[in-house]
Amino acid sequence: MSAVLRRIFLASLARRRLATALSLFAIALGVALGLAVQIIHSAALDEFGRGMHLLAGEADLQVIGPREGFDDAEYGRLAIRDEVADASPVLELDVRLPGRDRSLRIFGIDALRVAHVNPALMPLVAEAQRDERDLTVLRPDVLFASPAAQAELGVAPGGRLDVQAGAQVASLRIAGSVPGAGQGRALAVMDIAAAQALFGRLGRITRIDLRLKSGIDIEAARRALAAGLPAGVEVLTPQATEDQSAGLSRAYRVNLTMLAAIALVTGGFLVFSTQFLSVARRRQELAFLRALGLDRRALMRGLLVEGAVVGLAGGLLGIAVGHGVAALAFDVVGGDLGAGYFRGVAPALRFDPQASGAYLLLGVAAGLAGAWLPARDAQRMLPARALKSGDEAHMFRFRARPRIAAGCLGLAFVLCLLPPVGSIPVFGYLAVALILVGAVLVLPMLVRAAAHRWAGSRTVLWQLARARLAAAPGQAVVAGAGVVASVALAVAMAIMVASFRDSVDRWLTAVLPADLYVSAASQGTSGFFAPETLQRIAALPGVSRTMPVRFDTLRLDDRHLPVTLIARPLDGGSRLPLVGATAQVPTDEKPAWVSEAVVDLFAVRPGERLVLPLAGKPVAFRVAGVWRDYARQQGAVAIELDDYRAATGDLVANDVAVFLAEGASFNELAAAVRRLLGESTARIATPGEIRALSLAIFDRTFLVTYVMEAVAVLIGLFGVSTSFAALAIARRKEFGVLRHLGLTRREIGRLITLEGLLTAVAGTALGLVAGTAVALVLIEVVNRQSFHWSMDLHLPGVALLAFALIVIALAAFAARVSGYQAMRDSAVLAVREDW
Amino acid sequence: MFEIDGLKKRFGTEAARPLFEGVSLQLRRGECVAIMGESGVGKSTLLNCMAGLEPADGGSIRLDGTELVGLDDDAFARLRRRSYGFVFQAFHILPHLSVLQNVALPMWLLDEHGIEADRRARAMLERVGLADRAAGWPRELSGGELQRVAIARALVHRPALVLADEPTGNLDPDRAAGVLDLLLEGIRRDGAMGILVTHSRTAASRADRVLRLSAGGLHPEAART
Amino acid sequence: MALRWAWHALLFGLYVALAVPAATAEVGYPPVLPGKVLHFPDDGGAHPQFRTEWWYVTGWLTDGQGVERGFQVTFFRVRPGIAEDNPSRFAPRQLVLAHAALADPSVGRLRHAERSERALDPLAGASTGRTQVWARDWRLEWSGDHYRSRVEADDFAFDLRFDPAAAPVLNGEGGFSQKAGDPKHASYYYSRPQLAVAGSLRVDGATVPVTGRAWLDHEWSSELMPQGARGWDWIGINLDDGGSLMAFRMRDEQGGAMWAAGTLRTAQGETRALRADQVAFTPLRRWRSPRTGAEYAVEWAIDIDGRRLQLRPLMDDQELDSRRSTGAVYWEGAVRLFEAGREIGRGYLEMTGYAERLRM
Repeated sequence: MSAVLRRIFLASLARRRLATALSLFAIALGVALGLAVQIIHSAALDEFGRGMHLLAGEADLQVIGPREGFDDAEYGRLAIRDEVADASPVLELDVRLPGRDRSLRIFGIDALRVAHVNPALMPLVAEAQRDERDLTVLRPDVLFASPAAQAELGVAPGGRLDVQAGAQVASLRIAGSVPGAGQGRALAVMDIAAAQALFGRLGRITRIDLRLKSGIDIEAARRALAAGLPAGVEVLTPQATEDQSAGLSRAYRVNLTMLAAIALVTGGFLVFSTQFLSVARRRQELAFLRALGLDRRALMRGLLVEGAVVGLAGGLLGIAVGHGVAALAFDVVGGDLGAGYFRGVAPALRFDPQASGAYLLLGVAAGLAGAWLPARDAQRMLPARALKSGDEAHMFRFRARPRIAAGCLGLAFVLCLLPPVGSIPVFGYLAVALILVGAVLVLPMLVRAAAHRWAGSRTVLWQLARARLAAAPGQAVVAGAGVVASVALAVAMAIMVASFRDSVDRWLTAVLPADLYVSAASQGTSGFFAPETLQRIAALPGVSRTMPVRFDTLRLDDRHLPVTLIARPLDGGSRLPLVGATAQVPTDEKPAWVSEAVVDLFAVRPGERLVLPLAGKPVAFRVAGVWRDYARQQGAVAIELDDYRAATGDLVANDVAVFLAEGASFNELAAAVRRLLGESTARIATPGEIRALSLAIFDRTFLVTYVMEAVAVLIGLFGVSTSFAALAIARRKEFGVLRHLGLTRREIGRLITLEGLLTAVAGTALGLVAGTAVALVLIEVVNRQSFHWSMDLHLPGVALLAFALIVIALAAFAARVSGYQAMRDSAVLAVREDW
Repeated sequence: MFEIDGLKKRFGTEAARPLFEGVSLQLRRGECVAIMGESGVGKSTLLNCMAGLEPADGGSIRLDGTELVGLDDDAFARLRRRSYGFVFQAFHILPHLSVLQNVALPMWLLDEHGIEADRRARAMLERVGLADRAAGWPRELSGGELQRVAIARALVHRPALVLADEPTGNLDPDRAAGVLDLLLEGIRRDGAMGILVTHSRTAASRADRVLRLSAGGLHPEAART
Repeated sequence: MALRWAWHALLFGLYVALAVPAATAEVGYPPVLPGKVLHFPDDGGAHPQFRTEWWYVTGWLTDGQGVERGFQVTFFRVRPGIAEDNPSRFAPRQLVLAHAALADPSVGRLRHAERSERALDPLAGASTGRTQVWARDWRLEWSGDHYRSRVEADDFAFDLRFDPAAAPVLNGEGGFSQKAGDPKHASYYYSRPQLAVAGSLRVDGATVPVTGRAWLDHEWSSELMPQGARGWDWIGINLDDGGSLMAFRMRDEQGGAMWAAGTLRTAQGETRALRADQVAFTPLRRWRSPRTGAEYAVEWAIDIDGRRLQLRPLMDDQELDSRRSTGAVYWEGAVRLFEAGREIGRGYLEMTGYAERLRM
């Protein structure tokens, strides 16, 4: 068998080098993309998890509250509990650095405690910075910067770093390092009391890390310790915290993996089409081998091995390319592929044998799967018949399977109604796959029906093409399915991204109504405006109205990440991009507007009660409506600023939106605000700037998606060109006869082009329809379930039309070029050969 | 009138020994000749040269007085579709066209569509005895039937010249005789000219003349034994 | 007992800090002046205005099997002069540090553990008005007629009650204890010798009842070590006859005595302050630490006002090596006191300043 295998089967791969190379390349691309996504994300996740581990240190439990923190008296109360061996209080702050376009994570810690629970945050005093009594770590004016922070900020022990504290700037001395923070982690630590005083957080901490005494049941201790904590403060295991954070990016990661999988499936399909055509062409040769005594199983095995070899070679190439792509991605876009999930994480590339092995197997599987149907078909052929010329036409007949097609599409519809599994829209992805399968199954029926419609056409070429497509719609499947799949996916992504971008654009308009935005620290925690500052801004000439905004995070339960609290004047909700039904809130109750993510994650509906933990106390609100929020995937709740202030007594604000009075000058007002607040402490932006920045971030997020989409279309076109090349070779005899009958070479070229064109038109039309259906699934199911946001359908009509025309033209061109190549053979040889 | 005069064909360089040279032939309307010869002597090549599918290296070919040597590829293709008919050993019926469409194909090539093409194709099928299979598909036919379809296709557009390369080579002797009769009868009836390349003496004997091809030219076959 | 006023210099690392001249504090620490009269139980409590203060208990324990062990537990209070105006509850205005060690001859070296906390109610603090100092679950407390101390470490723990037999012994001049030629280097210092011990000891997972005899020192001051001082040697011995002996000397860089003093109380309750010329320490046998390379005199001849006494350790290796945490390295161990070959008392010996400068 091995000699047969080598000389007959594997040698056949070498004979059709172009087709083999293209399918190998397609599999390699699929493997490379999938593996790269896998490597990048697992490296980023590992690094992210390592970071969280590092910061959690040896903590068995973490007491976590809102971003603005909770009462630090809880520390003493918890630390003396019997279950607790050691406790370490943490005040975590995202501190804005004036004059730099970034913030720094500063941990206020108790240097006497931190080593017992999370040694990674232990500050190390630089030798020269040691004071005579060695109390440096307790000094209020010093900061210890991790090696990464020192490198990124360009500071060293002995130097100073300006930080924004409220609306002021404080200068801290760098007294040493945080060696435990490891390489790529930019952070700094300082004394917790000093941090509280400096950043206006007296009496508040954000976290307590607890190490339990040995032999204590962690879950029991967790429940016991959680009892009696203020509202909105939870006790979690570090693992739960990590899982919740990692869960945030999971949907995004699955999304990219799915795109990579599509590339791989397309690769497998390409193996199918080339293998199919190769078997068609070698039908008589294979029949002859059977006649010589090659048994069915050996024949099947040989053909499968051909596919497996292509898959293996493609897989190996893909592993190499995948690692290269990953290395490049780390350099260029970072560990989250530009989506912003793992900011501040700098993972390093390493060889991942497990993922590589898995993707190599997937590559082989794609090759085998592609070779399966043709091999089975060859196995079942009757050698005596197959020896006769013309029998290969059988293979192209393809039975129409309207019931299976309808079943696929119907099932896809049903799957769309099912909920996600573990916040992954598994059924949505399945529905997408079924729509694609259904579309491919519909293709031959569509082609045949269309061919019958064209009965009135005149010229012989039309007649021939029509007859060919009507009688052998299988050819359309082989050549056109790639077009359908890649056009459908590209169209789906285009519609989805266009809808998304359009919705984000309109959303930005809705959430940015003011003329000027003054931010103490963009979503950071160290900057804020005191009430007096707010009053002074409001009193500036040219200001008609100000809307202060207070941000915090709230833990609504211990199973989800905290949601963002936005307290600002909302004018009864009219200043929010509301969607869906609203509810009337009685005047004696406080209204809250929740984002769509809150609806999905916490199952609250308009009209229902919602208890928010404000300042450690549960405060009852009534859900007045649902608003669309593209900024916070974990959910956001908006309440009236007055309600917030009444419940908390907290009068400061993070941002303030300023409305210009009639006739006031924007520039003068901006200058006045700058004079009032100082050049470096506040950021002033116009809605236009914020919007441009947001859309730039949006585009960067989808950059990788665009790239993968382009790859899918490219592979689809590969499919068209290899299919037509192989088809042209398989049909050489037919073309030879036509030449005898008096068709010129050019006419035969035109015939091939025409067939390609018709296939491409049918495939593209079907792809457009299927793509729109897939887009609907992506928008209504996949996005909604993955990211919990809705969007309005927006069809980029002109772009889609242009795209469709380009694909058709390219497909026709690919058919023509590959057909022409096949036509170089002499017509004489073609008819005389009696394989 | 189909005339060949001093036709020469060589493979490879000028220096190479010609495959054949000095081939001359004159054929009148309604006449059929059979060409025989050893394997490899160039019978099929000669046929291809006549059809313009391979260029000749010297001599002349005239159909009804028009010189064909030197015609470009496309011109020869147009000539073939109007004036030539082909019958192959391996039939070469297009599998994705119905029987009727296969026969009508040459008419389509001459921009004859619709009823007239259909009528002519059906009439041809009737002549070869396959009227009832018009709507069928080639895969449903036996070898002999396929060759009869091929004959119908070769004659449907009333070509001046029908070239047949071993038309009975793939058929058993019983069927071969019937098929050959159909072909020759069709050629004579339409006043066309037929050139039959064959190994089979039986087949050749049905032609009006039998010629033998050698490197030196076409010569009448020696008297039968 | 004396001179651990510079203890806070060891806080986060370096012995060399001892030699650094006292910085002028940005906060006003009250000076230690002669003539102040100590009142009890008030002066048993903390004096938070002073820079540094400690309560130090050492002694010998005997369990039911007659196994003898030494123990020590020390609580330090430090006012670092930092964050005095920060209202945060975490502000490090006062620090509480604790050290505990168990000298077990069957182990051959000390078991020890330590605690460092900023004073933060209810986790750690030092109360005024009576002795009450704690760092999480470690504590030392005076409750009217006895002290109680609890220590929990990984490999040992004890919960001991100390009953005094007599009133506090005031060292120096009525509790004003001078440490160098310059009288500004002084502390308030009293001792509670002859404390009867009863309680429990956990060691190697087994908790056993123990009895014994202990010694408590309480000392507070505002000054750092005198210039030129390298370390000190100190003893506190409960004499078998019911009396007690405390003696110390300050050493200079060359190892010579810069200053020495002591307090001898007789069985009859008569207290005698010993002047520098009445106290002499002479090394007899040395032992080198395999861990730090420091060489300590583990046997001494001690001349007290004409009496020649001999000091022998419970075991040689009673070096306390906490380089990995606070960085301090010193020898602090249980000793027996002999006179003319006869054991006359038991107590503790402390030797500091023998190790090289160490880095963490």
